[in-house]
Amino acid sequence: MSMTEHAGPAVTTPPAPGPGGTDGRTAPRPPLLRLLARPEVGVLLGALAVLVFFLIAAPSVRQGGSMATVLYQSSTIGIMALPVALLMIGGEFDLSSGVAVVTSALTASMLSYQLTLNVWAGVIVALVLSLAIGAFNGWMVIRTGLPSFLVTLGTFLILQGANLAVTKLVTGNVATDDISDMDGFDQARKVFASSFDVGGVQVKITVVWWLVLAALATWVLLRTKYGNWVFAVGGNKESARAVGVPVTFTKITLFMAVGFGAWFIGMHNLFSFNTVQSGEGVGQELIYISAAVIGGCLLTGGQGSAIGPVFGAFMFGMVNQGIVYAGWNPDWFKAFLGVMLLGAVLINLWVQRTATRR
Amino acid sequence: MDRFSRSRRFAPLVAVAAAAALTLAGCSSSSGGKKADEKGSGASAGKATTPRMTVALITHQAPGDTFWDIVHKGAEAAAAKDNVKLVYSADPNAGNQANFVQNAIDQKVDGIAITLAKPDAMKDVVAKAKAANIPVVGLNSGVSDWKRLGLMEFFGQDETVAGEAFGKKLNELGAKKTVCVVQEQGNVGLTQRCDGLKKAFSGTTEVLYVNGTDMPSVKATITAKLKQDTAIDYVATLGAPYALTAVQSVADAGSKAKVATFDLNKDLTGAISKGTIQFAVDQQPWLQGYLAVDSLWLYKNNGNYMGGGEQPVLTGPAFVDKTNVDAVAQYAAKGTR
Amino acid sequence: MTDHDTPAPTAGEAPAPAPTAGDGAAPLVELRGAGKSYGNIRALHGVDLTVHAGKVTCVLGDNGAGKSTLIKIISGLHRHTEGDFLVDGAPVRFASPREALDRGIATVYQDLATVPLMPVWRNFFLGSELTRGPWPVRRLDIARMKATADQELRRMGIVLDDLEQPIGTLSGGQRQSVAIARAVHFGARVLILDEPTAALGVKQSGVVLKYIAAARDRGLGVIFITHNPHHAYLVGDHFSVLRLGTLELSADRADVSLPQLTDHMAGGAELAALKHELAQVGGVDVDLLPEEKDLTAPLAAPAAPPSEGNP
Repeated sequence: MSMTEHAGPAVTTPPAPGPGGTDGRTAPRPPLLRLLARPEVGVLLGALAVLVFFLIAAPSVRQGGSMATVLYQSSTIGIMALPVALLMIGGEFDLSSGVAVVTSALTASMLSYQLTLNVWAGVIVALVLSLAIGAFNGWMVIRTGLPSFLVTLGTFLILQGANLAVTKLVTGNVATDDISDMDGFDQARKVFASSFDVGGVQVKITVVWWLVLAALATWVLLRTKYGNWVFAVGGNKESARAVGVPVTFTKITLFMAVGFGAWFIGMHNLFSFNTVQSGEGVGQELIYISAAVIGGCLLTGGQGSAIGPVFGAFMFGMVNQGIVYAGWNPDWFKAFLGVMLLGAVLINLWVQRTATRR
Repeated sequence: MDRFSRSRRFAPLVAVAAAAALTLAGCSSSSGGKKADEKGSGASAGKATTPRMTVALITHQAPGDTFWDIVHKGAEAAAAKDNVKLVYSADPNAGNQANFVQNAIDQKVDGIAITLAKPDAMKDVVAKAKAANIPVVGLNSGVSDWKRLGLMEFFGQDETVAGEAFGKKLNELGAKKTVCVVQEQGNVGLTQRCDGLKKAFSGTTEVLYVNGTDMPSVKATITAKLKQDTAIDYVATLGAPYALTAVQSVADAGSKAKVATFDLNKDLTGAISKGTIQFAVDQQPWLQGYLAVDSLWLYKNNGNYMGGGEQPVLTGPAFVDKTNVDAVAQYAAKGTR
Repeated sequence: MTDHDTPAPTAGEAPAPAPTAGDGAAPLVELRGAGKSYGNIRALHGVDLTVHAGKVTCVLGDNGAGKSTLIKIISGLHRHTEGDFLVDGAPVRFASPREALDRGIATVYQDLATVPLMPVWRNFFLGSELTRGPWPVRRLDIARMKATADQELRRMGIVLDDLEQPIGTLSGGQRQSVAIARAVHFGARVLILDEPTAALGVKQSGVVLKYIAAARDRGLGVIFITHNPHHAYLVGDHFSVLRLGTLELSADRADVSLPQLTDHMAGGAELAALKHELAQVGGVDVDLLPEEKDLTAPLAAPAAPPSEGNP
């Protein structure tokens, strides 16, 4: 009657089933639906919808040159949206990304000008500073355990104030001096802000950088250890830590990647406009975050892609410029922008829902 | 964590070494830079021996705006000359700006100079200042409201008048179609400029809104507009930095359009003398700041009213083009024009 | 970070997990009078515990009895403040879970075993990914990882349609099982299972118990933390009952019966009271528990009320 009669434990190893068996609970879904269920496919369709819409509504969009302009605008958003998206997949936000761009540009510009150095010296120091700001954000988030929303809001305000105050202190003005006649400027401009000819159309170099960085980010995210860690720290930080993922390292480097993006766009701004205004950049962080979210990155982390934000940024650029190409009443500009973005996001959502319905 | 604590220890060392290396290792630029620009110094105009007084200057400046920086400098110049302690505060939010005025009243300052970007928000505090016997003058914005609110004097530019002058100038130059680039949607002053321009200009005027805090976006948007409408032969920007960006947009779009602008800064004078920008309408912001402070000093020490207390003192529109740019350029370089 | 680039053991036979020989040898893990104080709060005191290869050591106790403190010491999250902690006969003090992991002590936590949104195969190799290629282009060896994961899961008797599905879409029992298979694959010699059946239904619990047995049969030492004596008795070789931070019972399977275990678990007087109450309600009687002689998983026995005695 009682269980003491058992000589050994009752449960034994089950026989190992042969290979090829299935648990039979899920019917395989059609490949097309599986493809559509991927978040970046939804935003791709949204972006295509916006593109087709403007190709019909605005004849001048059909010219190659117009597309180059759209891509240029998209690229300056997109280059920042990439690391912001990776960070978001990793479960964190960076509200300081918009003003960090200006901080980087101001640093390079003022350092080169004030010390009369080759501009490359300023460029390098700006890179170091941008990475340091990223590392600081990451370190603070890890050490304090506060939401990154709060920590980077602090950094955002600090940088916004410091941008202005330091510029004023150093230059006596609120904008930096023109550095276009300094050594190394032309070289740096070639790297960060030149354009090249494709079949008679001038394409900005940032477009190339954007696509190259997107490809790199995709590779890193899907094909490397580090990418695996990014998903893990965003999806479930504690689990990731428990299985030996270096959470601190991953998060801090993600913040530093945002620093890198800010540096890159900062250099682009500096070398295309020669001077930098210290008050710029405020509000841009939300555009970067929006591009990432439209691109299918989960606000709570753990899911997303690097290619989605590319389409997200393109959607922003296309709507932004498309409204101008279409020659619509500009008083409604922001309203149009909002409606188009909302529409694109709804298409995205609808595709997702349809595709993932069981 | 280990790898971090290690790199942190080395960070200051590396930074110092790098800084030293940069300066020593011949990284310096042989052209441009501060060394090339360091000539001359600011003008000063002696100092008054009148008793110390305090003036509050409260504007609707957004942080980091070049224009307001010049206004501030003008005010500081007058303060230095008149033995005035200048208290500067600014906030683009009208409610916050009004609070700063209240703050100045609480401090019992001897005079207040304010901008009237949103006149009705300032009504109550202006009345309070008057009740406290503090003279209030206006500057920059509010040319049509200052009398209604009971301000003593006003220094600025009538934006509509400036816009009209701009339009007339375009007529003289034979322009047919212009685009008015607004960097901040919903700003009353900027809208008045475009409206005035539209009214006086005999050709067609279109309005284009751009995101003023994102230069690449400004550039792309102007480019897009010029591509969309190739008939545009003049781009009118409402702020100096946007004019410099518009020049690049024109080149990108392969357009033949010319660029002219409202307001002035150091880089813009260079562009005018090079001919890449045709002209600028200057409202002399430095003068606005200077006169606002100076007028309060005059009122306190000699009972004077500038403009006779009835008319605004107009500081613009003053045109700067190739013919007079050299005279202006030297002051612009110092940030006073 | 260690790269677990070692090829997966071939299917079919149990790998000889690490240096220890089977029976009779020194225990893999041993606690001697171990304890832990947090400030002036003594969470654990004077605990003896041995874990042998190929045996399941069950640690039972009600909530607050000190079970989690015990796991934290063995898994390297916290350090013990009294007594000795020996691995392979040598005293150790772990600074991090990683160190414990490197010594072959793997912990599968009930709630944080996996990252729900990530595919099964990525979860399987998370933190110990297989890579190929030299550094700048060092990339995940996806084909090998998928094949290995599939193989390992099948060896544990887990068959999944699609290793690409997010692990969050699996049932709770399946997820635990993947985590166990994972620990086994990565050379764990000692597997700590923190309440693996607590949040599961009867059938799912059976699934997990099956894999605990599988891990045992592959020669691992298993520490099975639970507050359910029935689950413990189905797989356990040795039973330690914690109560208020100290050992109340430490007995081999031969020396203890399920009712005795249940009795210790609930505390004699409390259980007696409970029995009395239940007898008055009627319809419930521990003596009427089903015969489990020929019972294999899934476990069909209804969980007796005393075992659910805590909230």
